[in-house]
Amino acid sequence: MKEKKHSIKSDFSMLAILIIPIAAAVNFVGGQLASLLKLPMYLDTIGTIFAGMLCGPWVGAVAGGLTNVVTGIANPVNFAFIPVNVLAGLVTGFLARGKMFGTWWKWLISMVIMAFVSIASAAPIVVLVYGGVTGSGTSLITAAAMAAGANIWAAVIGTEGIWTVVDRIISFLIGYLVIRVIPARTLVKFGCGENYIKKTTAGK
Amino acid sequence: MWREKLQLHKSNPIAALYPSCKFLILCLYAACSFVLGTIGVGEGGYPLFLIPWFFIVPILSAASGVWKRFLRAFRAVLFIAGLILVVQSLLIPSEVVVWQLGFLRIYQAGLKSGLSLSFSIMNIAGMFVWMFQTTENKEFTRALEDSGMNYKAAYVFISSLQMIDVLGKNSRTIMNAQRARGVETEGNMIVRAKAFFPSLVPLIVGAITSSEERVLTLESKGFDVNGPKTHLFELKKSGNEPLATGIAVAVAVVVIAGRIVLWVL
Repeated sequence: MKEKKHSIKSDFSMLAILIIPIAAAVNFVGGQLASLLKLPMYLDTIGTIFAGMLCGPWVGAVAGGLTNVVTGIANPVNFAFIPVNVLAGLVTGFLARGKMFGTWWKWLISMVIMAFVSIASAAPIVVLVYGGVTGSGTSLITAAAMAAGANIWAAVIGTEGIWTVVDRIISFLIGYLVIRVIPARTLVKFGCGENYIKKTTAGK
Repeated sequence: MWREKLQLHKSNPIAALYPSCKFLILCLYAACSFVLGTIGVGEGGYPLFLIPWFFIVPILSAASGVWKRFLRAFRAVLFIAGLILVVQSLLIPSEVVVWQLGFLRIYQAGLKSGLSLSFSIMNIAGMFVWMFQTTENKEFTRALEDSGMNYKAAYVFISSLQMIDVLGKNSRTIMNAQRARGVETEGNMIVRAKAFFPSLVPLIVGAITSSEERVLTLESKGFDVNGPKTHLFELKKSGNEPLATGIAVAVAVVVIAGRIVLWVL
């Protein structure tokens, strides 16, 4: 098969343009659902992750950035976290281009990379802009760790870190399940969709 | 006429300002907040000027006639700012203790950084709340398009806002349906985390497959055609923009000049 050429302009196909609003809305609904089920994770990057998986890094980044702009309208606290979500989209997209979602161990590596990137990008914002607390359930644990004498950086990275890893595992699982269910005739229309089609059926 | 129903008529002169004018006011206000935050008052060097400066936000919102909506949206910001102030002043230790009650000690460095962080957040986030509560989403999209943004980008923006409502409704329907089938949504954390999957996966798959149809709809209506676009919603300037910009610039100049004078003295 011929190797595909990627350009930013061709990434933003008609279908990709329509996936961005869906991704932003899924991010929002995922976050809402997580708080409805009283889970201690944010789970608000699911849309960004599947947009990056299906349409590549740039669409993922736009979806991520737009999510925080749109949710920032209701709660401007989210504006500060735009870089975290943009980076999540970029990294997932590049992993998808690099065919890092082919086998189960590659999924594991991608998950670790994603969790690491998220912690590294979120921790400075939490510490420098919000002084360690963001009003979520994990903030209480962070505050408790700080009260026990832990350094603010250690407290934030320690508590946010554990939940970020769980958060990414769930988000990636959902991305995987979604891609498994989407029929191949729809998958081919996405920029990175071909990577997820089983070659045995495509060859026949 | 049906087209007339789409237009907005605002009686309040502040709320009727053009969106880009409001954004300029926001930027000047945020810049002034940073400048005022550098002025230390008293022995501890507390950024106390930020507190009276913050009163501008609620006054402006009340004058724009959106007091109730402002209060509802601002509650979340207030909660976080309060939490930051408490956590910072109690938990960041330094040598000077300002105030002590039993085992609770308020430290000088913590109080200083807590005040600075929480009031900066309230200032900037509060101004954003004011801007978004006085401006409708379609006004924003139209203003963005008029200022040279690609119409596709503007479509993505407004479509995201609408999609949140649509998918929010769908997710509730799906969750109720899954509950009726026996998926447990209460219990320990693993049970609740497991309920997350059957609610979200059908939602995403449904949205993606329906977007294929939307591509056809949009293309059949000439969305991809290059050429001048027509609009049903017209956005007009209210005529008060030069005055509002003038006041905002004057206040900003006074604040910055005051800061420079303090430096020189």
